[in-house]
Amino acid sequence: MHGSELAPMEPSLRSWLRERVAHYARREPADIDPSVSLTNYGLDSVYALSLCGDLEDHLGVVLEPTVVWDHPTIEALIAHVEEMLGGSSRRMDAG
Amino acid sequence: MTPPARPAASVEPAVPVMSVVPTGPAASTAPAAHSARVVIAMTVDLAEFDRALGDPFDPAAPLSFARSAESDRREEFPAEMCQELDRLGMPRLYVPVEHGGALARYDELLAALRLVARRDLTVAIGHGKTFLGGACVWLAGRPEQARALGADIVAGAPVAWGLTERGHGSDLLAGTMAATTEAGGYRVQGEKWLINNATRGDLICLLVRTRPEGGPRGFSLLLVDKRRLPRDRYRHLPKVLTHGIRGADISGFGMDDCPVPADALVGVEGGGLETVLKALQLTRTVCTALSLGAADQALRLAVEHAARRGLYGRTLVDLPHVRRTLGRAYASLFTAEIVSVFAARALHTAPEETSVISAVAKAYVPSRADELIMTCGELLGVRGFLTEYHEHGAFQKLDRDHRVVGIFDGSTFVSRHALINQFPLLARCHPAATADPAGVEHAADLTAPLPAPELDRLSLMAQGGCGLTQGLVSAARDLRALAVAGHASAWLAGLAEELSAHCDLLHEELAQFPPSSQFAPPEAFALARRFELCFAGAAALRVWLHNLRSGHDELWLEACLVHILRSLRPAEMPTDEEVFDRLFDALRSGASVGPPTTKGVR
Repeated sequence: MHGSELAPMEPSLRSWLRERVAHYARREPADIDPSVSLTNYGLDSVYALSLCGDLEDHLGVVLEPTVVWDHPTIEALIAHVEEMLGGSSRRMDAG
Repeated sequence: MTPPARPAASVEPAVPVMSVVPTGPAASTAPAAHSARVVIAMTVDLAEFDRALGDPFDPAAPLSFARSAESDRREEFPAEMCQELDRLGMPRLYVPVEHGGALARYDELLAALRLVARRDLTVAIGHGKTFLGGACVWLAGRPEQARALGADIVAGAPVAWGLTERGHGSDLLAGTMAATTEAGGYRVQGEKWLINNATRGDLICLLVRTRPEGGPRGFSLLLVDKRRLPRDRYRHLPKVLTHGIRGADISGFGMDDCPVPADALVGVEGGGLETVLKALQLTRTVCTALSLGAADQALRLAVEHAARRGLYGRTLVDLPHVRRTLGRAYASLFTAEIVSVFAARALHTAPEETSVISAVAKAYVPSRADELIMTCGELLGVRGFLTEYHEHGAFQKLDRDHRVVGIFDGSTFVSRHALINQFPLLARCHPAATADPAGVEHAADLTAPLPAPELDRLSLMAQGGCGLTQGLVSAARDLRALAVAGHASAWLAGLAEELSAHCDLLHEELAQFPPSSQFAPPEAFALARRFELCFAGAAALRVWLHNLRSGHDELWLEACLVHILRSLRPAEMPTDEEVFDRLFDALRSGASVGPPTTKGVR
């Protein structure tokens, strides 16, 4: 997968991640701030690892289970995935 | 009363029992998928070890009920008995072969520790703790660090594991013992409390906060050698008086701005929690040996009592209720043993899944042993209550000692929580059966030599789910095919199919269950318990299917499945338990009945 192919899915990856985190935290996606650490939403540090499996399925990639510990916000996760997939370092707009 | 001195000519093997028997690569006997790896055959002579430990009913034996009772009464550490284990080479089993020890197979460590626990749980816990203390170093330590620790352990140095602190026991991320970096190493400040061997241990592996804000990357591990620390900068906290394991060194360890050399770091800074959670997969699996040993002895004392005790002109064992109760207890022990042995073998064959398997084993096996001990206590009546009569009060001691097994190293609650954390994954992976079935089959086939453990394959999450429960459908189908061909009874196949249907239904419920993280509701714990039951039944079925060479004995499997199903069936569906009578009668007649997992420890 190349950066040029990834680019169009960035906004959807972000909203998808917000939806997943909201699901696990049992909140509304609108309540999830992508720049805030996932542990702030009451996710147990081990439970938060579940997100890794979802992300692997969603993107068809293999990730370290602890990816969420090393990149603890949605923003950081997206940046890590972009970098891993060889995409550009272009960051998404906030908000 | 002092324990009788051992006769001078008692067993003192010139060569430790736990020596390594070199086994070269035997790729030809390995399943194709694992042929590239070194295969390890049994390296430890368990029968010889059992013989060397002696008959616990003989007061002169190295580990006897008389000696155990004495150290328990005095609440003194059973130092002499631990020295006997040192002499027999037991510490070698706590050190992987690559670091200079004899630990090549986790099922061997499990079996050896069970043999000790059967005689004295306090000794097994006090001595075996060194394996727990070393586990993080085997996983994440530098090669020279692991080799040095291995040499210390083989030479008899006790090692402690300092995880918990006063006020926030199982919540490891709340720990406040902190290490700050300075030239040449760290300064450590804080206390660890309720630590097994905190005072006796020459070394202690500490989980310390290395980032003030904490979090999953905010903790690190330091292997601290007390012999190298300034004596005025560390303290031992007093021994805590306990209900059971009264002789054990349950104390604490405090450090006061204590310098620790940089080479004490185990793994990378910030990797502490990850390493601990992986080490717990090893230790929770091994700790099930303590429950099996206690259950072995409880059942032996109850059966012997029932066979001797006269009542209304008959012996106790002739009463229908007693036969039924004892038969059910054996079925319970067999199932727990299968879960335990399967989990230990899975560390070799399915390390990616042991975050699930070890949690199930640590929740299931101690809980079953607690029930079994309570049942045996009811049968023993007042004999189970006396501290000086009836084998020196062995039963009341093991009853008290075993309580701690369901509490430490991840209590049943914590273990179930570890399972609940993986519900989303288990639910998602079950329908598609995404785990590798070869690992399960290899773990269940007890005649298959095990590949060397690859600890770097342990994972915090079983990303493919649980192969054993996923494969229950196909296992039940295989049994049905055997039944159709006349090699098994249709009744047995029906039990397996019922279990498989329960398992599928459970996973549908898991998929529907709302995510529950820190504050998992009681319903989540009920689901975890049902998962454990499905897992245990599936393990029994797999072990039966993959060891048909050792005989077509259906009785033990039928008893195990009925034992499991009676806890899974709805209340309005009563279970016919007559299989437990048949199981007990067969065992009483001396017939060789029971799962092949028992080999080497009966």
